[in-house]
Amino acid sequence: MGKWFKSGSPWIWMTGGAVSISLIAVLGLLLMIAWRGLSYFWPAEIYQWELNDQDGQQYTLIGEIYDSEEVPTERLVAAGHQFDQAPGDTVKRYLIKTGNREFVGLDFRWILATDIISRSKPDDIAVIERSKNGDFYGYPVAVIENGQRLELKDVESSLMSHIERAVELNDEAVKLQKSEIGSINYALEKLRLKERGYELDNKLTDARKLELETARSTLQADYLVLEKQFFALREEAGRDSVIIKDMRGLEVTLKLDSILDVTYANRMGLLSKVGHWFVGMGRFISDDPREANTEGGVFPAIFGTVFMVMLMAVIVTPFGVIAAIYLHEYAKKGPVTKMIRIAVINLAGVPSIVYGVFGLGFFVYMFGGTLDQLFYPEALPAPTFGSPGVIWSALTLAILTLPVVIVSTEEGLSRIPSAVRQGSLALGATKAETLWRIVIPMASPAIMTGLILAVARAAGEVAPLMLVGVVKLAPTLPIDMNFPFVHLERKFMHLGFHIYDVGFQSPNVEAARPLVYATSFLLVSVIVSLNLTAIGVRNHLREKYRSLEH
Amino acid sequence: MISIDKSAMSTNEIDLNNLSQEETALEIRNLDLKYGDKQALFDVSMKIPEKQVTAFIGPSGCGKSTLLRCINRMNDLVDNCHIGGEILLNGQNIYDKKVDVAALRRNVGMVFQRPNPFPKSIYENVVYGLRLQGVNNRRALDEAAERSLRGAAIWDEVKDRLHDNAFGLSGGQQQRLVIARAIAIEPEVLLLDEPTSALDPISTLTIEELITDLKSKYTVVIVTHNMQQAARVSDQTAFMYMGELVEYADTNTIFTTPKTRKTEDYITGRYG
Repeated sequence: MGKWFKSGSPWIWMTGGAVSISLIAVLGLLLMIAWRGLSYFWPAEIYQWELNDQDGQQYTLIGEIYDSEEVPTERLVAAGHQFDQAPGDTVKRYLIKTGNREFVGLDFRWILATDIISRSKPDDIAVIERSKNGDFYGYPVAVIENGQRLELKDVESSLMSHIERAVELNDEAVKLQKSEIGSINYALEKLRLKERGYELDNKLTDARKLELETARSTLQADYLVLEKQFFALREEAGRDSVIIKDMRGLEVTLKLDSILDVTYANRMGLLSKVGHWFVGMGRFISDDPREANTEGGVFPAIFGTVFMVMLMAVIVTPFGVIAAIYLHEYAKKGPVTKMIRIAVINLAGVPSIVYGVFGLGFFVYMFGGTLDQLFYPEALPAPTFGSPGVIWSALTLAILTLPVVIVSTEEGLSRIPSAVRQGSLALGATKAETLWRIVIPMASPAIMTGLILAVARAAGEVAPLMLVGVVKLAPTLPIDMNFPFVHLERKFMHLGFHIYDVGFQSPNVEAARPLVYATSFLLVSVIVSLNLTAIGVRNHLREKYRSLEH
Repeated sequence: MISIDKSAMSTNEIDLNNLSQEETALEIRNLDLKYGDKQALFDVSMKIPEKQVTAFIGPSGCGKSTLLRCINRMNDLVDNCHIGGEILLNGQNIYDKKVDVAALRRNVGMVFQRPNPFPKSIYENVVYGLRLQGVNNRRALDEAAERSLRGAAIWDEVKDRLHDNAFGLSGGQQQRLVIARAIAIEPEVLLLDEPTSALDPISTLTIEELITDLKSKYTVVIVTHNMQQAARVSDQTAFMYMGELVEYADTNTIFTTPKTRKTEDYITGRYG
């Protein structure tokens, strides 16, 4: 034993064990998030149950199994539940998603295994995904086209073709609303601001008034045409409806323009399930959120996160690198420099919410408020830059991550052999030329390392952003087709905040839970891919300047 | 033993004490140097003749490298370094306040102990000094690169891979590349600080041959640990000890009839 101890093996086992535990923890976390998040898109099987309720009445339930658990019988008895024959110590109960929110009140409910009379899996049940009120489960009975009830044998194919038409028309209407009507609204707002600007400068002459008025009336005329088109499209889309028999046995009419998709989940083979899974994921990534973020996709949040992080990287890199160069190359070595360096390192330890408060006070109110007064007086009292926005978020996170960049850049600068610097100086280069041509390129892998750490930190940060720019729902992206195309003053959505919002602020927690996992998985993927890109760039640079190795 | 010419080997003997203005490339006058409180050079005075190879020899820490680095003001980079006295290059004191250090270094090239190529291609290494001067004409750069690489006797080895990374070369090739880089900007004086101490014997031999060729165009000052090397390549030798210039004469004299006991002890290997 003593010999084994002396051999050093326990040390190896301990260190190796620590690494393994960390790896298992990280992988386990990732796998759990991925599994719970990604299985959400897998088409679940839909069951029909016949159940007894407490009064001995029989009723029917249609839905998918969401969760199950064992409950102690005592607890159920204590809660007033009566059993005909005594079950075991525990009873299994299921959480069923029943959908049909507007008709049954609760779209999730627990059922006890002892209450179940029978369970079947009928092929004809369809899951209807709707733009409002969540999913609907039922048996499609007939299609109503233009007010005419079509009695068809093959309801499915007729329903599918009608839905396809409605979805296409709806998409067209949304596109029209977002791009063309949106840009007219934007132009009208610009005109209003222009007029207000002239007014403030006392330059609102009659000629100008007339000019603005003509421009406005042209836009209004365009708007009316588009609006008419829009309503026509919407009306066309709402032409048809479908009659569905729900679990109460009643026939319900649903308009097709609110239906996004219909799936006969129980009829699907493996292949079509896989297809459906990919389509579902694609829609999650590319769609806008609906229903207070509890449904639909998260595209604006992905876009906002990536855009903000990139903006931050663009701001923090030059600042950090320049500061590090001054500290390392030009500042006199002495107690003052040392103190500055210690202060910089300590900045990394300041809680991020403090940066958020600072960003709100300094950037948003002071800096943004001053910008508004100088350049956007016509919009006041409505703020332009004087309210939280993506640029302020990027700046706040940039000062938050500045220490990381400074420290790793300095480290890189100190690793460059002095022989190379002297070689350049001996050829008649000035210090600045040597820095620019030799030292900074050779330090670029270290700069990239700093950037990687900064991106990793910034992408996961939520708390300060809640103060300086993130919102639950941003109507527009920070980049669109309206001049000047990049709108840095706009508020934006963020995956991290989205997780918090969906998971803890939404009215329907059960419905939102898988979305939380899916969004978490997506956030992790976004951070990992941002980092992998940066690591790829760094490795390329390292290969290029590999002289550091000797 | 007062300098009597008696060696048939010496072909270009010069009277170092009476060099004319034209024959002198560098004149060091009463040079003192202190690193903080520690004095490293004591009142060094010497004249270095033009287009000759002058070697500085001496035991480790004797100040020979320090003296060499004074000639292109590399010691300016050291904190706490104080220099007194003058070094005249073409009659002008290089420690004068008006002197542009970068311009001086363009005129006085330097090769270091260990090869220090930049992390760039062979070609970009050679033309680095020219690019600094704003030369960007492709043809001019190509010509300068070929001329310098030929001058450093490495052209034949690298002409087919000019755009490969310089780190792919062997140590000896890297050192010749660094010499090519130094002569690409056509300095008057070339300082070599123990250029072969990190190289194998065959590379050393190549570099030594190269040094002999270089003196047709440049004034070469070389610091070396290796007395045989000094004897082989140099025309003049200066022996330094503890920061003082002990003896300075043509190489034959130093190695055959040294004037002082210290020099004799050193070259016969009694210490060093």
